[in-house]
Amino acid sequence: MRRLVLLAAVGAVALAACGSSSPTSSSTSTTSASSNTSNSVTPNIGNPTAAVTINESGSSLLYPFLQELVTPLHTQYSNITLAPAPGGSGKGISDAIAGTVQLGGSDAYLSPGQLTQNPGLMNVPIVVSAQAVNYNVPGVSNLKLTGDILAKIYSGKIVSWSDPAIAAVNSGTRLPSTKIVPVRRVDSSGDTFIFTSFLSATNTTWQNGPGFGTTVTWPAVPGELTANGNPGMVQTCKATPGCVAYVGVSAESSAQSVGLGEAMLQNKAGGFVQPTADTITAAATAGSANVPDNLAQPLIYEDGAQSYPIVNFEYIVVKSTQSSADLAKAIRTFLSFAIDPSGGSSQSYLSKEDFVALPSTVVPKVKVAIAKITP
Amino acid sequence: MRRRRRFLDLTFWGLALLAFVCIALPSLSIVGSVIHQAVPVLGWSLFTQRTNALGIENAILGSLLLLVGVLVVAGTIGVAGGVYLAEFAPARLQRFLRFFSDVLAGMPSIVVGYIGYVTLVVAFHWGFSLLAAVVALSVLVLPYIVKTTEVSFRQVPTTLREAAAGLGLPRSKTVWRILLPPAASGVISGLIVALAISTGELAPLLFTAGFSDQNPTLQLLHHQVPYLTSVTFTDLALPGARAHATAAAAAAVSLAIVVILIAAGRLMTVRARRATRGMAL
Amino acid sequence: MTATAERATVPGPPSGLSARARRRSELTGRDVTVSAVLAVAAFVPAAALVWLTYEMAKQAYPAIVFNGWRFFTTKTFTLGNLYGGTPIVHHGYQAAHGAQYGVLPFLFGTVVSSAIAVVVAVPLSVGGALFLADRVPARLQGALGTFLEVLAGIPSVVFGLWGVFTFGPLMSRTGFKWLAALHIPWLSGSPGAGQGLLTASLVLAVMIIPIIASTTRELFRSVPPLTKEGAVALGLTPSETARHVTIPFVRTGILAATILGLGRALGETIAVLIISGNALNIYPHSIFDPFSTMAAGIAAILDGALTDSTGMALHALGEVGLVLLLVTLLANLGGRFLTRRFSVGGLPVGRGI
Repeated sequence: MRRLVLLAAVGAVALAACGSSSPTSSSTSTTSASSNTSNSVTPNIGNPTAAVTINESGSSLLYPFLQELVTPLHTQYSNITLAPAPGGSGKGISDAIAGTVQLGGSDAYLSPGQLTQNPGLMNVPIVVSAQAVNYNVPGVSNLKLTGDILAKIYSGKIVSWSDPAIAAVNSGTRLPSTKIVPVRRVDSSGDTFIFTSFLSATNTTWQNGPGFGTTVTWPAVPGELTANGNPGMVQTCKATPGCVAYVGVSAESSAQSVGLGEAMLQNKAGGFVQPTADTITAAATAGSANVPDNLAQPLIYEDGAQSYPIVNFEYIVVKSTQSSADLAKAIRTFLSFAIDPSGGSSQSYLSKEDFVALPSTVVPKVKVAIAKITP
Repeated sequence: MRRRRRFLDLTFWGLALLAFVCIALPSLSIVGSVIHQAVPVLGWSLFTQRTNALGIENAILGSLLLLVGVLVVAGTIGVAGGVYLAEFAPARLQRFLRFFSDVLAGMPSIVVGYIGYVTLVVAFHWGFSLLAAVVALSVLVLPYIVKTTEVSFRQVPTTLREAAAGLGLPRSKTVWRILLPPAASGVISGLIVALAISTGELAPLLFTAGFSDQNPTLQLLHHQVPYLTSVTFTDLALPGARAHATAAAAAAVSLAIVVILIAAGRLMTVRARRATRGMAL
Repeated sequence: MTATAERATVPGPPSGLSARARRRSELTGRDVTVSAVLAVAAFVPAAALVWLTYEMAKQAYPAIVFNGWRFFTTKTFTLGNLYGGTPIVHHGYQAAHGAQYGVLPFLFGTVVSSAIAVVVAVPLSVGGALFLADRVPARLQGALGTFLEVLAGIPSVVFGLWGVFTFGPLMSRTGFKWLAALHIPWLSGSPGAGQGLLTASLVLAVMIIPIIASTTRELFRSVPPLTKEGAVALGLTPSETARHVTIPFVRTGILAATILGLGRALGETIAVLIISGNALNIYPHSIFDPFSTMAAGIAAILDGALTDSTGMALHALGEVGLVLLLVTLLANLGGRFLTRRFSVGGLPVGRGI
């Protein structure tokens, strides 16, 4: 009886997901995707025949979202257990490459070198997330910052909150002359990747110098602090008056509950915005017009009056060839579940982390990628 | 003149006392602060819930499982090696093997972790696993087991060996039946030292054991193993008093395991001394 | 009563599998099998050491070739730009664009923190051990000796925990503040939250005190009472006896123990990783600044090393590890060589007959 209900659920999900009336998947093991690039690619998903545990490690920004999905995924597909772990996007990519986990969580897409060295390795976006800049300046709220100013702070060129450059964009706010303490990630981090991408997009000296990446050569700034993971960034910033830190949005609620301020960042159109569902969606839509087939697409500093400047796809790094049919099916099912608006990408799960769902233009390409995961 | 010397004497011993206090205070402070910080989370749920539900049950089980693994792997190899060195090896070979063992004892644990990661976890495709972790830990503690086993056997008076030979016992039987009982306490105390060291290790395990929110399984490969020191390491960097308290609780449990092991080891050493003292003929 | 036979063939350790023993048929076939099996086990540590060193060298080799001597002169360690630019090639090996592998920042951190740790630990250890050995009555020996044993058994991560939440904040409010107020160059600056070179070095000192103190205490107890009594008979005060007789008597042993402690400090990873503030490429401008060591650096970077598709990041870390390995091994070898002269093993078990 339960199996019938499951079949029905799977059928319903598959129907909803593909939208057209092409024959949908049943839980038989016929191979999945047609090489059709139109809307009708539907990966073969369903409850695998044996119990499978999918191990994931990586992005601390994505981690809380994955934690949320463990129970609903298991409830819907009783043979699939997702076991996520944090550790930083660099660890996620490394672990996925080494095969010590099945899935690597990463805020950063794979580099050309990584793609060449590991044919068959894919980065599959499942949600859109963003990054905030938090600060701990007692007495100041509604702080406005630009990427250029942040690049100079993290280069040691702007050292005090009362610096004219900061005052220039914050007319009307009294800024204390407290020393700025920049905080950066010490682990190989996707948050570093998107933050430095933003700095590179707004400051040519940074672009030609440290550039962007999961680790970069941070300029030596006296007093700079380091932290491990997004929660560590929150922790360090809370303990240090004068600090500025880049924190993924899934940790924002904790950042604000401990009293850190969230800066308004200047976007490409010149306006100052904070990361909200609207501003993040605006950036994601603007950036998804031309996503390459390998899905490696930044969403940094996009056009649009509403767009928030530090937005990114959250990627699952996975090998297209898996060791068993059950495992491959479990992974396809999880990924499909994650992007399904009635599954993982439903508002209740997304809004808790301040994520937004994938733009509809991207979903078909994501499904093509998911369908490539085979034993 | 005498007064000056007495004054110097007093100052000297005052400084020595101060030095001792500087050793005793951190000892007290560490144990005290760990327990004090752990208090908020101490409770039954700490031991029955796993790390995804604010407990450390999986970490405790994992640590114990690792200890069993080290006992099995390093224990057998180490004791066997120590017996060989004490009872069978020619003198030159003894010096040669002992040299290597001593050098291995000085190996930095991160080097073992690096090699374990690069070879066992990645190249051999074992993944973060129980076997990789146990091998890494065993390599680190093997020299201690070998050394204490050898010393324990050497402590047994030669007269016993002579008597056994006089009775016509082959050497292997002598070792097993005659020499092992008095040496046992010393051997066990060496094993206990090795276990105490293993409980406290983190660097090699970071890159061979991984971590897991689930209770450890007996799977040798491809399944990550949770352990206590990892909980302390991760949680102390998280925000919130709760996380810090959990870190301290995991630290307290690993300290408790080490203290129990050290106490047991001390007991064994005392018994070892007593066992062989009576035999001096 | 003892029939200490003067037979040349006393069975037991000294002769082992000597030809004489075999000729006398003291070893049965079974003995030979057993001995062979045990021998395999005895060779495991040697095999492990050889394998570890070989693997380390093998992993480090591409980086050694790529870096050449620049490894010891470059002041930064950076993985470079993994997302753009063409890889650089040196002597046939590729590395990411902009990658610079220099061990100096790590080496500096390791050497300085270990040096401070030893300088602090030795007087405290010797003084404390002397106090324990000479002034504490026999019945309190066990109890007070417990402090040393407890310290010896505390895991490194717990030292890190203590350093971050207790020791560091305490020192930054008191001792460090007073030190900074003296405005001595390099010893002043802002103590911050208590995570930096000085805190880490002091915690390292506390970690190595048990090694030095336990051994030193045993050494002091092994000084023949007659020698000390002779000094007393000559009219020396207890402290003069200690200073002029006891300590010089075991001088080399103390040195050996110190070197062993140094070896431990050089290889310490976790406590430093937690307390050091992990500042790669930043030479501490003051003793309160963050820093990094070879061991902590490897631990911090190894996780994400595979993201470097050229593989050079992993090899460069291997080269750092090789340097660490050699430095630590030298320290330990020196210590053990000196220790063996005084027959005091690292573990306080009784002596054989």
